[in-house]
Amino acid sequence: MRLTSREPARSPITLVPMIDVLMIMLVFFMVTSTYLDLDMIPMAERREEAPVAGPGGGGARLLIRLGADGRAHLSGQVLAPDAVGAAIAARLAAAPDLEVIVLPSGGADVQALVSLMDASVAAGAGRVRIVRLEASP
Amino acid sequence: MKLARPKKRAHPETIIALIDVVFFLLVFFMLIGRMDATAPFAVVPPVAQSGADMPGGGATVSVAADGGLALDGRAVDQAGLLGALAARLGEEPGLLVRINADGAAPLRRLLPLAGEIEALGARDVVLVVTPEPVR
Repeated sequence: MRLTSREPARSPITLVPMIDVLMIMLVFFMVTSTYLDLDMIPMAERREEAPVAGPGGGGARLLIRLGADGRAHLSGQVLAPDAVGAAIAARLAAAPDLEVIVLPSGGADVQALVSLMDASVAAGAGRVRIVRLEASP
Repeated sequence: MKLARPKKRAHPETIIALIDVVFFLLVFFMLIGRMDATAPFAVVPPVAQSGADMPGGGATVSVAADGGLALDGRAVDQAGLLGALAARLGEEPGLLVRINADGAAPLRRLLPLAGEIEALGARDVVLVVTPEPVR
């Protein structure tokens, strides 16, 4: 008679370490991720999209100056924040290809510029451009 | 003789359901969160409704309300920032450069900086905005 030794019973794979790993990963992603809903506004014009500037070329233009206090000035008059869109929409009705040019003061903050651009786009302006004055060398 | 009935053993709680829940939570947080480098200072992006969806990747330039600068979460000065960006643009000409400026940052800081980044050859320079005010 030949006796064979029994194979030792395999211990079952425990799931507890897996839960530990999952919990650590969960906490890691919860802590290190940001949950802000972020969008973007293009600031640089792509070369292939840039129109060729020529003297006297292009359509109608509307120059809006952004003061250091964050208020928009159009033709020398201060515009209320909720009147900017209406003023641009009125000009757009006369000239649909109107280009809005924003001349911001260096003292204005980013939010003022973004709000002005936002109002221009909401009024239907398809072309909004920011210009800035540079000190001559 | 009175025989006592053996007490019923309570079923052990299964941990499979717990794993499922934790796994779903993990996937949920991985999907809705963004793993961006955060600036070493507070940045509250400006609010705008006309922004477009922002793709991932690229370099993130942070501008604090007092004009402080950071590149991908590390505080740098302007010369260091432009040097590092120039090197990255040399390796990857189509690099997306995101400017994450605080809404209260002065334009005299932001606009020249954006112009200099563009002068380095960056074709995609975008300003980060948020559609809802940050509370």
